[in-house]
Formats: sequence, structure tokens, C-alpha cells
Amino acid sequence: MDIIPSLANGFAVAAQPMNLLVAFIGCFVGTVIGALPGIGPVNGIAILIPLAFSLDLSPVSALILLTSVYYGSMFGGRIASILLNIPGDSSAVVTCIDGFPMAKKGRAADALAISAISSFFGGTLATVGLTVLAPSLAMAAIHFGPREYFALYVMAIIIVGGIATGNPAKTLVAGLLGLVIGTVGIDPATGIPRFTFGAYELYEGIDFVIVAIGLFAISEFLIYIEQRRTGPVEQVPVGRRTTALRRLTYPATSLRASLLGFVIGVLPGAGATLASFMGYALEKRVSDKENTFGKGDPRGVAAPEAADNAAAGGSLVPMLTLGVPGSGTTAIMLGMLVTLNVQPGPLLFQQQPDIVWGLVAALYVSNIILLILNIPLVGIFAKLLSVPPHYLMPGVVTVSFLGVYSVNQNSFDLLMMVGFGVFGYLLRKMSIPLVPVVLGIILGTPMEQSLRRALAASGGDVWTLFQSPLALGLHAVTAIIVAIAILRESRRRIGEAAATRGA
Amino acid sequence: MSDRIVGVLLALFAGWYSWEAGSYAVDFGDPMGPAFFPELLAPPLGLLGLYLVLRPDPEPEWSTGRYLLSQAATVVVLVAYALLLQPMGFILATLLMVTCLTAMLGARLPQALGGGAATSLGAFALFDWLLGIPLPPGIAFGG
Amino acid sequence: MKITAGRRELAAGMLGLAGLALARPASAFVGPRPECIAPSAPGGGWDFTCRTVGRLMQELKVVEQPVQVSNMPGAVGAVAYANVTGRRNSDNNLFVATSTVGLTQIAQRRYPGDVDRVRWLAMLGADTGVILVRADSRFKTLGDFLDALKSDPTSVVTGGSSSLGGYDHLRLLLLAQKAGIASADLKKFRWIHYDGGGPAVTQMLGGHVEVVSTDLAEIAGFVEAGQIRVLGTMSEARLAGSFANIPTAREQGFDVVGLNWRGFYTGGRVSDEHYNAMVAGLKRVYDSDGWKEAARRSGLQPIWRSGPEFERFVANMVTELRSLSQEIGIIS
Repeated sequence: MDIIPSLANGFAVAAQPMNLLVAFIGCFVGTVIGALPGIGPVNGIAILIPLAFSLDLSPVSALILLTSVYYGSMFGGRIASILLNIPGDSSAVVTCIDGFPMAKKGRAADALAISAISSFFGGTLATVGLTVLAPSLAMAAIHFGPREYFALYVMAIIIVGGIATGNPAKTLVAGLLGLVIGTVGIDPATGIPRFTFGAYELYEGIDFVIVAIGLFAISEFLIYIEQRRTGPVEQVPVGRRTTALRRLTYPATSLRASLLGFVIGVLPGAGATLASFMGYALEKRVSDKENTFGKGDPRGVAAPEAADNAAAGGSLVPMLTLGVPGSGTTAIMLGMLVTLNVQPGPLLFQQQPDIVWGLVAALYVSNIILLILNIPLVGIFAKLLSVPPHYLMPGVVTVSFLGVYSVNQNSFDLLMMVGFGVFGYLLRKMSIPLVPVVLGIILGTPMEQSLRRALAASGGDVWTLFQSPLALGLHAVTAIIVAIAILRESRRRIGEAAATRGA
Repeated sequence: MSDRIVGVLLALFAGWYSWEAGSYAVDFGDPMGPAFFPELLAPPLGLLGLYLVLRPDPEPEWSTGRYLLSQAATVVVLVAYALLLQPMGFILATLLMVTCLTAMLGARLPQALGGGAATSLGAFALFDWLLGIPLPPGIAFGG
Repeated sequence: MKITAGRRELAAGMLGLAGLALARPASAFVGPRPECIAPSAPGGGWDFTCRTVGRLMQELKVVEQPVQVSNMPGAVGAVAYANVTGRRNSDNNLFVATSTVGLTQIAQRRYPGDVDRVRWLAMLGADTGVILVRADSRFKTLGDFLDALKSDPTSVVTGGSSSLGGYDHLRLLLLAQKAGIASADLKKFRWIHYDGGGPAVTQMLGGHVEVVSTDLAEIAGFVEAGQIRVLGTMSEARLAGSFANIPTAREQGFDVVGLNWRGFYTGGRVSDEHYNAMVAGLKRVYDSDGWKEAARRSGLQPIWRSGPEFERFVANMVTELRSLSQEIGIIS
């Protein structure tokens, strides 16, 4: 089957006025939903499914609606990260690191524009990748077995250490605490509940949303109270964009991060979160010459945004070609597809080409709509910061409670969120970074499962972890990263020692 | 000093964590079992705790006086909200919480009440009506 | 706020009137806000059951409002079970998807309470257990595979979408038992848990696991594409259509039937009237061409059991699974 005519057909489908309208609605709703902390694409899709049915949309239109909500909420997810330091979803955690400092410097509008542009870049690149490579890539991804995934997650955990600035021991503590929190709940391999103390609320593990919103939003509130001790807190200046749009594109950064993000997205299960912070870590290694990352460097916003949207596109590859969801959101889309009588799997491209190519074309269209939609919205969203803090902060707390409440509708979760808020406050006071905690929670379960699977297959022989060239290669890269970090650290120590002696 | 205390707590926690994990066992099929991964995490956590005891960072500046009190009061309000949301209903509980918090941040009472009303009604409209996420209506409105 | 309360009451009132006007209580399926709980994350089998049946109910006008599907994952259905038995015991809006997988959990006492805590509505179809290998595998028949296990229980890496002792694992152990493998050796099998049949099969294609035991529906596409071979189906007779050439386990001399049926339960204190209305509604779905088509597409065999017959079936099955789990040593 030739790609060009198929894609042309796809565009003919996607460009029908009805489908364009549907894409526009989906993008808008998605952006708004993504912007609310804790409310994600799941809710967006749940809201729109009845609409899709009552309008009697064709399967293609319904699919376009879903994907545009999916992409839209990826775009919207970073708005809360940048403006309020609350990650709206797990892949927006890393955006907080440089996005929020930018907003504090009065460059909120810039940061939002950067995130929109690089998201567009990442999303489009991934769609191109999906168009050209989907079937062959899917077959490559199956070579990633438990050993290889484990090697990948080890690398990811090590890289976490490089993301945060400050005391490396405390960064490690934070990452380990995250992994520890991730072990709460039923052990998927054996069905045995761990660290649940008989509470059914804990059986499914502690939801990421609860931890992230507690750690970030509630602790932010407590910190704010304290800041007033040293005099009135300055209102964040809200400006328009300070620079031309052209100067807010970071092509090299976006390209690097998108490629990495796409590859990670194609691996089932690795997902957008891993991609976003690997993208950030890569960019920090490559470009952080003047130690500006973590203090509001625009490239620190561009990189995770591009990577995370590229991964979102990439994760559609295993979903469509293997029927294996690459992330929570694609799992929902998979369920929807099945409801619409579309059976993803190895035969989808042959059996239902109209739907596949219509979908691919819709991805291009959604990306463009989102860019057009988001650039003007940037100023409006940034205006949020001009609300006086004594109204804004309690409002943020309310929305945070609602985001958590929407997960399971129980007060146990709300209490946990407050608990994590106090915990997060203490961590921040002790300068233990929060981002590694959250990443540890996200990566913990897949890391443990891949390790256990590898060892179950080998009957407990640990050497199996190194008996695959791919895994060995990944471990080698990890070793190099560690070696470079140690070298740099010791050189810095020597430099500092010399400086003190000189002074 | 704070770092040292945290270090000791971390080391103790790691010990307990490992001990608790040891009680999870299956007798077949899984060579490593559910205890393996937690037991892998505990030693580095404990060692890092001891490291903090030996090489602590400079003391952070802790909150004091009326700001500490204000923080404690905030936490109490938040816990109360978590417990009262379902029985009292969203509108009423949120009105109370936001009014309290806004007042604590230095607004006058009428302003705080206004903020509380606006926030609770606005959030209710957004979540319950537009997004279709059902919020607890509570006693005041008969469910 | 008054407006919302008013709106809800109005809606409820109108539905009530509609029910009166029809004057046949059996036609009102459930309460005003029909809700199907899928005790899994979206995309799984229970989610599929809820969404398909919910869609058909709306198409067939069994319900007046769209059926809202809520995902309540957790502990293979235990969280949803706890929620329903604890808080929504008499909620006539509610029906919950379940299957043999859930019953296995009840049998192994992993749910809060036994089968009598809820009312079992009906089953609408069953998925078939299959044993799968890669198309180029050394195993051509179930016999080949089980012989290899018999001579060395650790020589084959097996996997599926359930945890240790879950239904995918249990079915494999049943087969092995029929092949005459000693209980002590069953414990030595290497079993890898995956999050679903799809991931398990893709990992098998990559060579990371050799034999997969799971349900047919989720992975039917791989069979049709010729990438994997089915060593045997655990059905009573051969399947229809494109799967007709696959031998059953029974005809290969291993008499094991491992059907994963799909059905629903509701709260234990739902009144007889509502219970009967729900069963009647489900029956209309079962009788529709839409369900036949959906079942065929997803590899389910339509099977109907309802009411007291279904409750007896469930109770028997739990007893059976429980004694088996004790025999193998999964529970004491």
C-alpha cells in the first residue's frame, strides 16, 4: 500500500467540514480540560463520548474527536505547570522545573507560547514518523523484553539524579522515596497487597494525581503563607509576550527532544512521562553551559514539551499496529476504538485503511488547529496571574481538591492529598527536590515489574539481566552517564577547593 | 540539625520498610516474590539517611510565630474540608473553606465571603455542569 | 445551586412519569442514571463488556439515558466489589461487569465477602481460553508442550494476563494436571504476568516468553494474521468461523474447559422488581443482532444464563475453583 495516495485519501476525510468542526471542538475542550489540574484526557473523553453517540458521528469522526481531545489535553496540561507550579498530568511534571521560574520572572506568556510551539513541533514530527514508519517500528518494538525495559528504567532513574540541582544525596533520597511510595498497593505479579494496612483505598496504589497535587499545590500554599513573613509578596508581573514568536522557537532543542520522545513513545508502556524528562535531561546535558536550567531557561520548557508530544504520537504506533496501549490515555482510546467496532491490531492497516489514514490526517490537522488556537489563548491564560493572590490561591486549592476528588470520589484521597501537601512542604524546606519523588512514583511499578518478569523467566538468575546485547548497550550508556557525572562533580569539588585556598 | 533528624528518621524508616516487606511471601512460581524490590530499595535509603546525619546541609530557616500558627490553621482547615465535603456538600463546604483561607491571607470578611461564594459557585458550575463530574450536593440541597 | 437541584429533580420526575406512562415496570431498565462499573482500567475485557452492552442498551432503547461507564480498577475487581457491597448495595442504577476472572478472586478469598453479598444478573457470552505459541515454535500440539513441562517443569517460560494463581495461570495448571504432572512440579513452572493478552502476545513475538495462556478475544487479530499458533482451545467444542480448524484441548486428550464468561452483578439489596427489570433488559441486548455481531467480532461465544440458574452456576463455580486452588496450594 502506498503511503501518499492513502494519506491523500485520509486528508480528504479529515478535511470534511464536519470533521474539521469536530477536531476544533475536541482541541478546545481538550486544552481547557488539560489546564485543570487532575482533570485529564480521561474526563475529556468521558464527557465527549455521549456527545459522539448522540450526534451519531461516524467512526472516523468519533476517532478524530478523541484524538483531538487527547492532543488538546497534552497541550493544555502544561498551563497549570507553568502558571501555578501544579503538574496537570504526569507528563507535565518536568515542565514545572523551568516553566514556573519563567512565570515568576514575568515571562509566563513566553513560556506558554514556547510550550505551544514546541508541542506542535513534537506532535507533527511524531505524526510524520507514524505515517512513514508505523508498521516496521511496531515490529522493532517487540524486541524490547523485560531485561531491556529494566535497563531503560534504571537509566531513567539515574538520569533523574541529573535533573535536579542541589545536593545529589537529597535528589537520590527523593527518587527513592518516590519508588517506595510506588510500592504501595497490590503487587501485580502475585496479587498480594503491600503496605496497605487493610485499607481498600490503597489497593490500587496511590494515584499519581493525589501525590502530585498534594506535593506541589498544597505545599505551594503553605510556602506562600510563610513568604509573607519577609514582607509583602510581590505580585507576579503579567506581561504580554516579551519577544517575537520567531524568537520563541527552539528548532535544535525541539528536534533533539522530539526524536528521543518519539522513540520512547513507540515502546509500549514507557510513555510520555519518561519521554518528557529524558528529553529535559538530554537538553540539560547538551545546552546547560551557564547553569541556567532550573532557573527559568526557555529551552527547559521547549525540550520536555516537544518530547512529550512526540511520545504521545509515538504511543499511537503500538496501539494501532499491535493493539497494545502505550499509555493510560491510549488505553482509553483503545477501549473506544473497540466500542466503535474498530479492532486495532496487526490487520488494522489492511482491513480498515480509511479509518487509519483518516486518523493520521486528523492528527496533522489537530496539531495545526491547536497551534492556531493556543497562541492567542496564551495571553488570556497568563492573565490568571493578575488575580490577587488571596483570591487566586484558595481558588487553586479548591480546584486541586476537585481534581483529586474526581479520581475516586472519596474523602480518604482528599486527606492523603493534604498529608502529601504537608510532606511536600517539609521536603521543600529541607531542599529535597519534589520532581524526583513524582518520577519515582511513576517509574517504580514498571521498573519493578520488568525486573521481576526478567527474573521469573530466568528462574531467579540475575545474570540474565545482562545477557542481551540491547540491555547491555543501555547499561553501558547508563554507566557512561554515571562516570561523567562523577568526573564533573569531582572536578567541581577540586575547583571549589582551589578557589577557597586562593581566597 | 534538621538534616540529622531527617537522616535518622530515614534510616529508621528504611529498617521498618524492609522488615515489613519481609512479611510478604509467596511459596511458588515467583523466584523473587513481592518482598524483593522493597528490600532492594531499603539499604540505599538507609545509607543515604546515615550520610545526611554525617554531612548535613546548613540549617533551613523554619517558619515561626504567627506564620507557623497560620500554616497550622491552614492545615486544620484543609483537613476539615476533606472530611466535611461529602456530608456538607460541595457548595457549603467550599464557601466556608475559601472564606477562611482568604481571610487568613489578609482579606476583610466581606471580601473573603465574596471570594468564597464566587469560587464555590464558579467551580460548581465548571465541574458539575460543564464537565459532568458529579460533586456531592450535601444536606443543604437534599441531594 | 437551587437550579441544579431543581434540574435533577425535574429530570428524575420526568423519567418517573415516563415510566408511569408506559405502565410496565419491566420496560424501565434501571434508575434514571444507568451506570455500568467496569472494575478495570479502560481497554480491558470488563471495560469492553460495559461499553458494548451500554452502547447496545442505548441503541435498543432499553435505557432512556446513555449508560455511563465508570472505570473503578483495583485488585482485580475487589475495589469495585467493596464499593458496591459497602456503599451502593441497593442502588438500582448500577450494574457491574465481571467474569470468571473475578470469580477466581472470590474463590481465593481476595474479595471482601463471598458470592452471596451481591445479586448475580446474567452472563451474555464467554471468551475461550487458548494456549498460544509463536508460529515458528518447537511445539506443534498441546501434547508437545505438556511433555516438555513434564520432563522439566522449568524448561518452558509461560505467561499470561493474570497474576500467579489468577485464571490464566490456573487454566494452564489444570491442563498440566490432566497431563499427569505432579502438584509439587506445578509450583516450579515459570510464569510471567503481563497487563493483558495483547502485551503478552507481543512479548511472545519478541521471544521473551515462549507459551502464553490467555483468552482468545483480545488476541484474535494475531491469530488471523498468522503470526501465532493456537495449540488448543479450552472450549467444549470447536469454535465457529475462522477458528474452526483449531483443535480443542479435550480432543487432544486433556479434558479442560476454561471459559471466561462475561456477565454482570448488582447490589445485594436491589429489589426483585428492579433485579428482574435488569435481567429483562440484558436479555433484550443478548437477543439483538447487535450483540451477536459484537460477540462474533470479538471472539466471544454468546451464552445466556440468568436469574436463579445463573446464581447457582456462580456458586458451583466458586466451590469448584476454591477446592482446586486449595489442591494446588494457592490458598490454604
